[in-house]
Amino acid sequence: MEKIIAYTGYKKKDFSACLGCKICASVCTLNDFSMHANPQGLLLKILLGDNTITDDPLIKNCVSCYRCTDACPWQIRVPEVVRAIRETLELSSPFEKAFKGSISIWGRVYEPYIFMNAIGFLIKNGYLKHLMKWTEYISFHLPHKIKRI
Amino acid sequence: MNVLIIGGGISGISAAKVLLKEGHRVTIVESTEDLGGLMAKIANCRVGFKTFFDEIHDRRNLTIIKGKNIEHVEKNNDGIYKVRIEKEGEIEAEKVIIATGLMPYDPVEIKGKRILTSLEYDSIIDQKKEKMPEDFNKIAFILCVGSRSKEYPLCSSVCCSYTIREIKWTLMRSNPEITVFYNDLRLFGQEFFLERMFRERGVRFIRTNTRYFEEDENGVTIRFYIDGEIKEERFNYAVLAIGLRPNQSLINLSRLFGFSLNNHGFVYETAPLTAVDGKIYICGGAIEPMNIKDSILTGFGAGLLASMGKDKINDFLKHHERYLYKEREPEFIIDKDASSYLFYIGADDTFSSMFYEYASSRFVKIAKELIGLGKKVYVITKNLVVPSYGEIEYELIKEEGVIFINLEEGEYLETKDGKVVITGGKRELSFNVDRMVFMEDLISGHKTKEFLSFYRSEPQLRWSPTKWNRERFHIGFIRHPRAERWEGREIIGALAEILLDKEEERVIPEVNEERCSGCGSCKNACPHNAIEITQVPKDVAIFGLLSNTLNPVAKINSDLCMGCGLCASTCPSDVINLPTAQ
Repeated sequence: MEKIIAYTGYKKKDFSACLGCKICASVCTLNDFSMHANPQGLLLKILLGDNTITDDPLIKNCVSCYRCTDACPWQIRVPEVVRAIRETLELSSPFEKAFKGSISIWGRVYEPYIFMNAIGFLIKNGYLKHLMKWTEYISFHLPHKIKRI
Repeated sequence: MNVLIIGGGISGISAAKVLLKEGHRVTIVESTEDLGGLMAKIANCRVGFKTFFDEIHDRRNLTIIKGKNIEHVEKNNDGIYKVRIEKEGEIEAEKVIIATGLMPYDPVEIKGKRILTSLEYDSIIDQKKEKMPEDFNKIAFILCVGSRSKEYPLCSSVCCSYTIREIKWTLMRSNPEITVFYNDLRLFGQEFFLERMFRERGVRFIRTNTRYFEEDENGVTIRFYIDGEIKEERFNYAVLAIGLRPNQSLINLSRLFGFSLNNHGFVYETAPLTAVDGKIYICGGAIEPMNIKDSILTGFGAGLLASMGKDKINDFLKHHERYLYKEREPEFIIDKDASSYLFYIGADDTFSSMFYEYASSRFVKIAKELIGLGKKVYVITKNLVVPSYGEIEYELIKEEGVIFINLEEGEYLETKDGKVVITGGKRELSFNVDRMVFMEDLISGHKTKEFLSFYRSEPQLRWSPTKWNRERFHIGFIRHPRAERWEGREIIGALAEILLDKEEERVIPEVNEERCSGCGSCKNACPHNAIEITQVPKDVAIFGLLSNTLNPVAKINSDLCMGCGLCASTCPSDVINLPTAQ
């Protein structure tokens, strides 16, 4: 757990300030989809050294919108803690890795690269049903005419 | 001596009261058009302020300047402040009392038509208006808005109390469904009895907070997280319990008068109630967020300091020490051998609840000591009461590594096979600790818990915060289990009250013992319980024989008597006389 904390570049005292008020849970984007996410509970789990941390809906789904940080009285940056946990526990999927790799190489999303790296993952999890939609985007990289008005 | 009081709120007026009694000339400068400050903004306290102020409003030595600000201050070689007030000219003052008070936080980002601040709500439940508006059927109270945050880390220490009173006034006039969202219920003394009463009447208390409001024409939807899941509920109105911040004018005043402010924007207290030794004194909300009762206490204290100075007060203290009554605090020692500790702050009955502030502050102190020794410390709280600067202590020990866990409503602590388990709700957390300390252990040291029932009825306690009776003034633990910084303030405040009390002219009625029949009607009429019916032996002649009998006769206890004269007017046979009435 200390590793996670170190990874955030965050000191423990930055989020030990948590009052336990659960304001973060009330505004969390995930709760728009009734995922019962509770950032305060996550922070408490880290402090207590709980091992069930990977099951938390936040670890799976947090979108780093920083709504919690905005509402938090102590402006605790929960998304950064979540990101650190994902990195340390190596929870990111091959797709995520490929996506990030693409960003680090080209500075933007380059679909052929992502396909190359994550095709196994995409097939396995049945993401290929979205292929039709994707090809529309991919075609952007092929030579095409620009519509003129 | 000329004394300038900046701010005409309750603490400024209290200070003026003491100074006028001592025969000084007092000038009050108030920046708004009305006296009373924050207290007069609260509908139910306005009358109280008026009666308090009416006692001094026509004194010749009192000048009140309203709606004016201080422009310039110069201090000459004799140490006299020359203060220029806009459009009013210059006045001279030897001593200055800063009583600027507090400023309510304005939650512009949240409030709306259906989301009211507590001050707005207060004007709705004003008792002068006949009825509550019709659509107040379901109300949510949200605590801790604008305090206990990074921006302003202090606890405002009054929001919980005034919310519980707003609920009282609401329930007195109609019967809506009420829900309270709280972090900690920071109530004091008897207010816990109110809380229990409201719980029994169906007011819902939920230990979670929220900032998710969806407001529309007819109401507001609030989302909150409780028992491991997110819930949405619709309310007619939401009331935000706004915190109190330091007055912004203090920044300007500190530059003009040359005193310093602390990190949080309050005046730096060099000695109890003192900003600049021998010259500038502070009281009320200029020191820290405090309630009306404490504002009066500090106001009295600052007034006494300005009129007497430190040395004379020490003298005064020597002569009147016997009046100050202090309850001895029993020692509580925890052995420091174990490697992990668990503290539990939670009371089941209302009576122990009154010890919350006491237990919280003591446990925070002990936890700080233990974490310094490298121990593992958990604090499980049902309610944690650390008002105003206590909140900062609490934040600090969290940084150092003490882990606080809040119990939700319905959860409780259990010991199972040597482990401590939080159960009762949806989660189940267990701890392996060497040593457990419960709040009950701490307060069981007080062999008789009775002394807390010494609390008198609330209004009485407020107008004379330390006075129990004319011979006994409570300070320290018995008045309120306060933090150490209050000790000095309380002593000075109590001395000021003794001064106010001693010189008060009082008329004590006389009973004609010969004619009194001991009917007891005066005893029933007395609002101060000052009359007792005693049995006095008397020789009676029955058919020429002298015999001894006991005659019931009313006796007036001069310590408790306030000289109101009710007994004299109720006596059916005109036996009681008020000496001045003739």
